[in-house]
Amino acid sequence: MADTVVKIEGLVKRYKDLIALDHLSLEIKEGEVFGLLGPNGSGKTTTINCLLSLLAFDKGSIEIFGKEMTPTSYDIKREIGIIMQNVAVFDELTVYDNIDYFCGLYIRDKATKKKYVEDAIRFVGLEDFIKFYPKKLSGGLLRRLNIACGIAHKPKLIILDEPTVAVDPQSRNKILEGIEELNRNGATIIYTSHYMEEVEQICTRIAIMDKGKKIAEGTKEELKRMIKNTETITVETRGLDEAQLPEIEALPHVYQVSLDDGKLSVSCSGGKHNLIRVLEVLQKHEVHIGRVYSEQPTLNDVFLEITGKALRDKD
Amino acid sequence: MFLHNLKYELKAVLRVKEFLIWIVIFPLALGTVFKIGFGDIYNKTEKFKAVPVAVVADENETTLRQVLEGIENSDEPLLKVTYVKEEDTKDIELDSSEAEGIIRVKDGRLTLAVGGRGMNESILKAFCDQYNSNVTVITDTAQKDPAKIQAVTEKLTRDVAACEVIKLTDGNTDYYVDYFYNLIAMTALFGGYAGLTVIINNQANLSALGARKNCSPTPKSRSVLAAICSRFIMQTGIMMICVSYLNFVLKINFGKNLALVYLTAIIAGNFGISFGFMVGSIGKASKDSKQSLITAVSLILCFLSGLMVAGMKVTVSHYAPFFNEINPAAVISDSFYILNTLDDLNKYFVKIAVMLVMTVLFIVIGFVATRRRKYASL
Repeated sequence: MADTVVKIEGLVKRYKDLIALDHLSLEIKEGEVFGLLGPNGSGKTTTINCLLSLLAFDKGSIEIFGKEMTPTSYDIKREIGIIMQNVAVFDELTVYDNIDYFCGLYIRDKATKKKYVEDAIRFVGLEDFIKFYPKKLSGGLLRRLNIACGIAHKPKLIILDEPTVAVDPQSRNKILEGIEELNRNGATIIYTSHYMEEVEQICTRIAIMDKGKKIAEGTKEELKRMIKNTETITVETRGLDEAQLPEIEALPHVYQVSLDDGKLSVSCSGGKHNLIRVLEVLQKHEVHIGRVYSEQPTLNDVFLEITGKALRDKD
Repeated sequence: MFLHNLKYELKAVLRVKEFLIWIVIFPLALGTVFKIGFGDIYNKTEKFKAVPVAVVADENETTLRQVLEGIENSDEPLLKVTYVKEEDTKDIELDSSEAEGIIRVKDGRLTLAVGGRGMNESILKAFCDQYNSNVTVITDTAQKDPAKIQAVTEKLTRDVAACEVIKLTDGNTDYYVDYFYNLIAMTALFGGYAGLTVIINNQANLSALGARKNCSPTPKSRSVLAAICSRFIMQTGIMMICVSYLNFVLKINFGKNLALVYLTAIIAGNFGISFGFMVGSIGKASKDSKQSLITAVSLILCFLSGLMVAGMKVTVSHYAPFFNEINPAAVISDSFYILNTLDDLNKYFVKIAVMLVMTVLFIVIGFVATRRRKYASL
């Protein structure tokens, strides 16, 4: 059984009448990539700020590496790497100097520090930009610098708060691959995002948050098993009549059918060969068929089914 | 760890463009404008110059010539005499740098012709009246009591002064230099912005950089101290550049106290840093609000110290005398005023001590106000 790295129990944070965190409890094990997923304002960043002892909370307790986390827990802080939602670097220092500065806050030995800084630069792929100032970097490169500053000291626990916001796809992939590599190298990761695809891609365990509460927790498979939907079949049709929908709805495992501008959407719960049975009905009624695809449920479906609303608006 | 922080804080702060513009370039540019505008105005308009006068007197007028020679050869000559012939006087343009008036001798008495009214003309008239009066006294004595002629002559040739000159100061009487002292004071107060960035860069509720620093194992006090020291070093350099530029490039005469001008400027500059640090540390306002607050407070203090409106400091001292003793802008400008005008080193060092004490006090207040470890909101 892996050791517990982070333990949050009954955390409550209020802003006057607004409850930002409502009795939140989490336990994160060593070696996990733990995802905190939720829409904007769900309490992800507040949780991180409380965890880092930046933000005072009203109730609850936080332990990291088995010790209570306080603002003066310098031994704990030494083992944590933080990548903020907003880029936190000196605009007036070069890429190299920024990484060297932040690494130097944790590592005293000059030779070790130099090696770590060079490792971090290689890791985020900024070798060609070490003399650049942050303002000369693109958004993606700036995010990579932000990450390098947070992980250069090789921490055991890395907290990434929405690190891919406003990042181009290439840099996003690079960042996600880097996080997986950090995890393979032994770091425990806490990753907050409202991008469910990212969380699905890299997280080994996920907590879904809404309005300061944890509404579900588990692996992505466990989360998907919590909901009724197992498959959504979509067929682009021509000539399909609303009157024919009850026949499809009557098929085994089908629990919801809708038709919108010729696009048939069939939600299934369990079973096999659902797609074949749907297509047989359409062929029987000589409906012209265009594109056909079957999708597994996403975390958005999980969130939708639990809260009755989408996780986020489509970008 | 402290030196690591200091090294990068210094490296970063020296590259802040806003500081370069407002604390270095702007005061130097303003100083240059001052110099172009009225840099030599004192010598041209305020400092007394000998009054040029044309004198029509032949070689026989030995008494007059001796008197004029004595006046011209004194330490601060009253008159600048040019002897001319009567026929040349028609070419003289009166009320000009050539001659303010023409003195003629007729029957041993002086007559004066001037081209206008003014201080120079009054001086010439006073001279002629005094001369004629003396001639009358000597002539009357010679006629009535020739035995006393020598005693009277001796008495008349002695300096007679109705007023005794009491020198209040050995300081510089060129009050236009005050503008440059005020410029140094302004540069010192601009250091407040640099002091404010110490707060912004170290408070988690004011910047992401502050939040990241607060997450590191470096104690906040050490990080803040390194940041303040970097600003002190920067401001010391800036103040030295400012004074050097004014003194060596613009040739502003700071008199014999140049070393003390440097000392005052450096202490005042660091006083400005601590002022910004303290103001920035108080309250929960946002970064932008704190920058506005520094600007507003600095301007108000400058206004109340008389840097904007002459006489304001006198008004404040009438209604709230103690405020002038603690108003940073007033303390800085007073130090320079004492140094420049009064030349009283005891009073000067009292002001310097006040600045040092307030600098320490402001830093302590700033440290206490920023020592909070957790924030209610970020």
